[in-house]
Amino acid sequence: MTVITTKKPFEEVLTALKKSRKIAIVSCGSCAAMCQTGGTEGAKEMAEKLENEGFEITTIIVPEEVCDNRVMKKDFRQIEEELKDTDAILTLSCGLGVASITEVLATKHPDIPVFIGTNTEFMGMTERIGRFYMRCRGCGDCLLNETGGICPITTCAKSLMNGPCGGMVDGKCEVGNYERDCGWVLIYRRLKELGRLDLYSKLRDPVDWSESGHQREVVWR
Amino acid sequence: MNTINHGYSKLGEKLAKKEFILTGELEPEKTCDLSHTIQEAKEMAPYVVAANVTDSPLGIVTINSMAATHIIQREANLECIWQLTVRDVNKLGIAGMIMGAQALGIHNVLSLTGDHPYLGDMRESKPVFDLDSATLVKLVREMVDTGKINGHEIEAPPKLHVGAAANPNAEPMEAEVLKIGRKAEAGAEFIQTQVVYDLDRTIEFLSAIKKFGVPVLLGIFPMKSYAIAKGFDTFVPGVSVPKEILAKWKGIKTDLNTDKKLQKEAYDQSNYEFFKPFITELRKKNLLDGIHCMAVHYPRIFPKLVDVIESTN
Repeated sequence: MTVITTKKPFEEVLTALKKSRKIAIVSCGSCAAMCQTGGTEGAKEMAEKLENEGFEITTIIVPEEVCDNRVMKKDFRQIEEELKDTDAILTLSCGLGVASITEVLATKHPDIPVFIGTNTEFMGMTERIGRFYMRCRGCGDCLLNETGGICPITTCAKSLMNGPCGGMVDGKCEVGNYERDCGWVLIYRRLKELGRLDLYSKLRDPVDWSESGHQREVVWR
Repeated sequence: MNTINHGYSKLGEKLAKKEFILTGELEPEKTCDLSHTIQEAKEMAPYVVAANVTDSPLGIVTINSMAATHIIQREANLECIWQLTVRDVNKLGIAGMIMGAQALGIHNVLSLTGDHPYLGDMRESKPVFDLDSATLVKLVREMVDTGKINGHEIEAPPKLHVGAAANPNAEPMEAEVLKIGRKAEAGAEFIQTQVVYDLDRTIEFLSAIKKFGVPVLLGIFPMKSYAIAKGFDTFVPGVSVPKEILAKWKGIKTDLNTDKKLQKEAYDQSNYEFFKPFITELRKKNLLDGIHCMAVHYPRIFPKLVDVIESTN
């Protein structure tokens, strides 16, 4: 699994950094490297662009996983001196990177703002580099055992529990000019193939948002 | 089998008595003044049991359908079927609206998914879809039949009949048929279909959903002019107007262009000639419980439709 990121428009990055001059770049060596938004190459490219705009790059690090607090604690120990002379951190990672860096630096450097140079798109399946697809939204209550392994929350544009809707024409979805498959027709075809149309015929209750509608955590020790 | 025991409305009574039903459709627009829609409602009122009031079709924002339904009922003295989509309001909001509808004298509701905001003129709007068209039916039935919502007592519960939509044109058809089974299980008391022109397909579909025992009002769209027929054929996804109809309507447009009165009569008569055998055939096969005419802004066609219904009785 990869958290898929894309590059933010550079103008947007400049706007975020406009009150800073000395920038440390933290570029994720994992998912963002795979998406070519981070990693060594992404960091190098961003550093050059920022220098051309008059910024000073105090340091560049490429941690194994920016989202892992343990990795970040270790890596930040290596650049303690550079951080003392840094106005802002720019992370080239998914959104988790900002949270992770902010939390790890909360005690020693609460004054350093953390900005992000990417947009986090989704948790993605990789076909090959440059082709990533959303197949799961991480809703917290997996239905896949009953829907032939195809998620209606993800593949139905309306995340319906009882589809297809009237916006389906010849197996295609009204959203996106009838170019994408209707998720519920995919589910119907797969369950038919598996001889399990009994599952397709089942009336399903609405999603229970009482547990999934707020910030979640998994804490088991 | 969804037997209707109580008539909370004229529609409900007629469904219970198994009378053949004609309903119309009204499409309030982006306005706070409903006088045009009220006028149209008054024109169709003598001929129909009730008229649907649409809820921002195609995701194009219009006046709220519950408010419009209430005002049309009050001003035109025409019973309405309030169309309610699950697109814009969550379950909590919808439950409140259902009680509000009852308080406003609304006693029929058609449960719809609703076209995605992406299609409309406010595409940045958040798509809600907390419920879907089947679970909305279930919610209404729970409130009406048990007088409770989520297990909590409603002091004065709503008394509404709830219907659902079906699309005979849907391909793959089996996927749609099985979905209608879910809507029937949820408690749909009537079905209004998408517009149809293909008789064989309609027979196949209606025969397949007959086992669910929900009365079916067939969606038809008599075409007021060649421009409307052509527009419908071009812009309504999944529904094709037969080529011979388009040719005939084009002929009327060209040949009678100098005499608008004759032209109108020719369009009306041609609709009559097309729909009469269509409906006759379906009634002969005992597949229909009524007709839902979706031709908005064409109220003059209703006397002709009443003729069709009476002559096929």
